[in-house]
Amino acid sequence: MESTLDIFIKAIFSENMIFAYFLGMCSYLAVSKTVKTAVGLGAAVIFVLLVTVPVNYLLENYLLKAGALEWINPDWGVNGASPIDLSFLSFIMFIAVVASIVQLVEMLVEKFAPSLYGALGIFLPLIAVNCSILGGALFMQDRQYSTILDATAFSLGSGIGWFIAIVAIAAIREKIRYSNVPAPLRGLGITFIITGLMGIAFMSFSGIKYGKDEVKAETVQVDDTNNTNH
Amino acid sequence: MKFLENIVHKMEPKFAKGGKLEKWHPMFESFTTLAFTPAIVTQKGAHIRDGVDLKRTMITVIMAMVPCLLFGIYNTGHWEMVAAAGDRGLDFWANGGAKFMAGLWVVLPLIVVSYGVGLTIEFIFGFLRGHSLHEGFLVSGMLIPLVMPADVPLWMVGVATAFAVIIGKEIFGGTGMNILNVALTARAFLFFAYPTSMSGDKVWMAGTESKVDGFTGSTALGDLATFMSDKPVFENLEAYTNNYSFFDSVWGMIPGSIGETSLIAILIGALILLITGVGSLRIMASFFIGGYVMGLILNAFGGNEFLDLPAHFHLAIGGFAFGAVFMATDPVTASQTATGKIIYGFLGGLIAILIRVLNPAYPEGVMLAILFMNVMAPIIDHYVVQGNIKRRLKRVKTA
Repeated sequence: MESTLDIFIKAIFSENMIFAYFLGMCSYLAVSKTVKTAVGLGAAVIFVLLVTVPVNYLLENYLLKAGALEWINPDWGVNGASPIDLSFLSFIMFIAVVASIVQLVEMLVEKFAPSLYGALGIFLPLIAVNCSILGGALFMQDRQYSTILDATAFSLGSGIGWFIAIVAIAAIREKIRYSNVPAPLRGLGITFIITGLMGIAFMSFSGIKYGKDEVKAETVQVDDTNNTNH
Repeated sequence: MKFLENIVHKMEPKFAKGGKLEKWHPMFESFTTLAFTPAIVTQKGAHIRDGVDLKRTMITVIMAMVPCLLFGIYNTGHWEMVAAAGDRGLDFWANGGAKFMAGLWVVLPLIVVSYGVGLTIEFIFGFLRGHSLHEGFLVSGMLIPLVMPADVPLWMVGVATAFAVIIGKEIFGGTGMNILNVALTARAFLFFAYPTSMSGDKVWMAGTESKVDGFTGSTALGDLATFMSDKPVFENLEAYTNNYSFFDSVWGMIPGSIGETSLIAILIGALILLITGVGSLRIMASFFIGGYVMGLILNAFGGNEFLDLPAHFHLAIGGFAFGAVFMATDPVTASQTATGKIIYGFLGGLIAILIRVLNPAYPEGVMLAILFMNVMAPIIDHYVVQGNIKRRLKRVKTA
């Protein structure tokens, strides 16, 4: 099993939301014109991911997963008399949680930190429709983290990875503002190409192993699948 | 020279605006400025003038690369003969002339292909967009062959050069506008597109595959990386240093990419760059320090032979020194501010050794570390500049 630190570092670099999965591209492309707004949106994404993923983790494990309702009635567990599987509701539940928490966060920030609220502006409500937030929740469901701590580390790492990506491209776009880019590529075209080139640079971290044990575990897994295939 | 100058002056009106050959002006200008200092002088105001323009800067860098190139040619020839004989114990200095010729036979086509493809593309862009030939490719075209393994197919070099020049540079507007180092973009492109031709133990010596059975052409780094897996090539660190001593690595008598092996040749190049003021001492020094510090940190963790490798070995093997001197100092893609350069170099060195040791897929981490820092350089600059503004504002307020 991966340690919490591995999950955190992996989520920042080798499984970066932008460069590995291309999630949250719309706001990444739209709000990366200046570093200042990019920092604002990036911070908001870190914050919202950090709140929504653990909440969704609790929902997933105590409400949605097959047999998750066992804590209410043992009959509803996976091995119970009448098992209940609510996982078909996960999309609608996750997005509802994201939207409501973004609203809640917005109200709280406005009440207690008006200066931060002013700095974030429109980006805070916009985050409700940022794919990387729902993506974070769905990855958490898919990867079945064993503890809420792991899920939180994953969410924080993903947020920081997204933050680094948008801030870096914002700085590059500020730098190339006076470049003589061919007319058809100006604006979004060149931004897509920069994103691809940045993806090459971020590939340096993919495949980092954190010790001998993990390598062994993987080879064993490969052997198993081979056997079942034959 | 006078004779040539006269011809150029005679031809000039034909290429000027409205002349017969107006369309070919970019090409004409490129060739004349390569040979002569342009006669254009500043008309108004007081400006500091210097004969050193971009072309001369680039040629200085090429001259700094010559020691690496010559040693690389000899080394390539040596390892080709080693591979042919299947004997790693071959005396390095024996039979020198034949080795140099053999190496030249491998390296020269790489240089021709790299310059041929790159300059053709530069000319086409020059025509289409109406600018003169960009000088930046003079250096990139020499760097690309130097960072290739000896056995790489020529067509791959052509494809990679085309990718790097078009996608990496020209669509950003040409020299001075690119965000990633062009030569490294070419290498990274090949590395991810054709991994079997760019890594492993078959590619570092020309003609390894066809010759002797059971002979592996692995590099020092490739062998070291096996310490991280279950089947190391050497039993322990001592066996490794018996095979590749520290001084072998410093001299460069080890297999590897063509230009990267000899620390001494690279340091001669670094000296040329520093004396002429073309290369940045801040970046070079902080890059080496960053790598050394990461080596010490990994030593402190320890655990296996690769992690225990003395930190000064890391600076001598692989492409670390070559990257630090010729790639990281690229004035376009590195940080521009003084403080930024130090941060950029230090983090670059740190990440290079980190990837090299901890990422078994990429034992040659220097290339990717520099690319990563290229991406991060603008943001470093941004915050250095913001910090300066803030500090000065404070000074104004208190005064």
